[in-house]
Amino acid sequence: MGLSVEYVVRETAGNLWRNRLMSLAAMLTIAVSLALVGSALLLKQGVATSTQAWKGGVQLLIFMQPNATNAQSKAIVTQLGTLPSVQRYSYVNKAVSYQEFRRLFANQPDLLNSVSEAQIPPSYRVVLKNPSEAPSIGQIFNGQPGVKAVDYNFAAIQTLEKVSSIAQGVIIGLAVILLLSATVLILNVIRVAIFSRRREVTVMKLVGATNWFIRIPFMLEGFTQGLVGALIAGAAVLGIRALFNYLIQRFQVHLLSGFVLTSHDVLMTELVVFAIGVVVGTTGSALAVRRYLDV
Amino acid sequence: MIRLENVYKSYAPGQFALKGVSLEVERGEFVFLIGPSGSGKSTMLRLLLREDIADQGSVWVAGKDLSKIPSWKVPYFRRNIGSIFQDFRLLPNKSAYENVAFALEVIGKSRKAAEKQVPQILELVGLADKMHRLPNELSGGEQQRVAIARAFVNRPLILLADEPTGNLDPETAWGVMRLLERINRTGTAVVMATHDVGIVDQMRRRVVEIDSGAIARDQIRGVYGLGVHQ
Repeated sequence: MGLSVEYVVRETAGNLWRNRLMSLAAMLTIAVSLALVGSALLLKQGVATSTQAWKGGVQLLIFMQPNATNAQSKAIVTQLGTLPSVQRYSYVNKAVSYQEFRRLFANQPDLLNSVSEAQIPPSYRVVLKNPSEAPSIGQIFNGQPGVKAVDYNFAAIQTLEKVSSIAQGVIIGLAVILLLSATVLILNVIRVAIFSRRREVTVMKLVGATNWFIRIPFMLEGFTQGLVGALIAGAAVLGIRALFNYLIQRFQVHLLSGFVLTSHDVLMTELVVFAIGVVVGTTGSALAVRRYLDV
Repeated sequence: MIRLENVYKSYAPGQFALKGVSLEVERGEFVFLIGPSGSGKSTMLRLLLREDIADQGSVWVAGKDLSKIPSWKVPYFRRNIGSIFQDFRLLPNKSAYENVAFALEVIGKSRKAAEKQVPQILELVGLADKMHRLPNELSGGEQQRVAIARAFVNRPLILLADEPTGNLDPETAWGVMRLLERINRTGTAVVMATHDVGIVDQMRRRVVEIDSGAIARDQIRGVYGLGVHQ
């Protein structure tokens, strides 16, 4: 149907420029809402990594000395097996712990290089029948031969997860509202564009321009707005990640020491942000074209 | 070229814009469509351009049954038909050249093809020297010539004209009519809806009179009225 690239680019750019204020409003709304989506995702991923060891209802962590003897380990296992309040437990060996360590501190290469697998403590992850017994059970193991440390900070972890999930909910809720308004804004921008070009559209229909020839520049206008909004949000996500890292290192928050955003997490977040931006832009313009462009 | 068979069209229940119209126009014919406002002339032109579909009966244009063309093919069908209007329908921010070139561009012709064809067609309509003027720098007659150039640049088989002289003074109107005659001589059928008594009476072409949605008269070398409708 002979849709030349030059024509499409010229028409789209022209439309965007003509409605630049409205376009800017739409793009910024998308940018803000997607930045929120991005931070919510980063928060979720960070909390997930920092609470990794506590997954599955684990309430008590017993870290062994890296050089604990077999007899020492056996003594712990025997006690875990006989204590009535222990529901179940699992052993995490050095190799697995080391892998987790590498993942958690992926963005601190100095630390990674200074610690070898041999220095990593293996651990027992204990699930209790009654979580409130964690401190008293923890005391039993604390200071036993071969035990390096006992961590029953389970309650704090739970609070952290709860706070983070509420925060995520609120942020995502806000983002959804903003994304809906962004869709409506784009719909309106495209409607105005269609209205201001109705003479051209009439003439195009008159001389036999195909429907897609008429529609595509308008659709592309919405797509571009979504994409530009997403690009701004993408930059914001990188900034937010840097801020998280800075705050955690600056204030040495113990609980959040494992709050790590790996490059993979950030990449996935950026991809989600781009995808949503493009979908919102295209949806808004597609709705406008369907409703207001009578071809 | 054009065939309407017992065509009915209604826009409101019980009120027919066209009721039982049958008409045939041959290749290269020149037909005046006359009748009072609201008689159904515009409805007929809309059906021929496939802007509307007949409720009953069939409309054949350029070998196609218009009720059977899927809507995505309508644009391709329209490329066989040129159309001009009382209000010219030019793009005000484009020069005469650009207005005609736009028609070629939107159907996917290359810029090169436009550079060759547009000056030729503007020469044909007598505007070679005003190619780069904007519509508001041209007279009404000149604007209509640009519109004719745009309609004719693809050498359509049929030219539909909806009161093309309605906004023009008599002398300018005649200029436009001579141009339409020339186009007609190249083999393009011209169907022109008009109220212009002088033009119809002097041209002595086929006259189809529509009244209240039905054909009241169809004369091979007709005049506007026999005193009845004056």
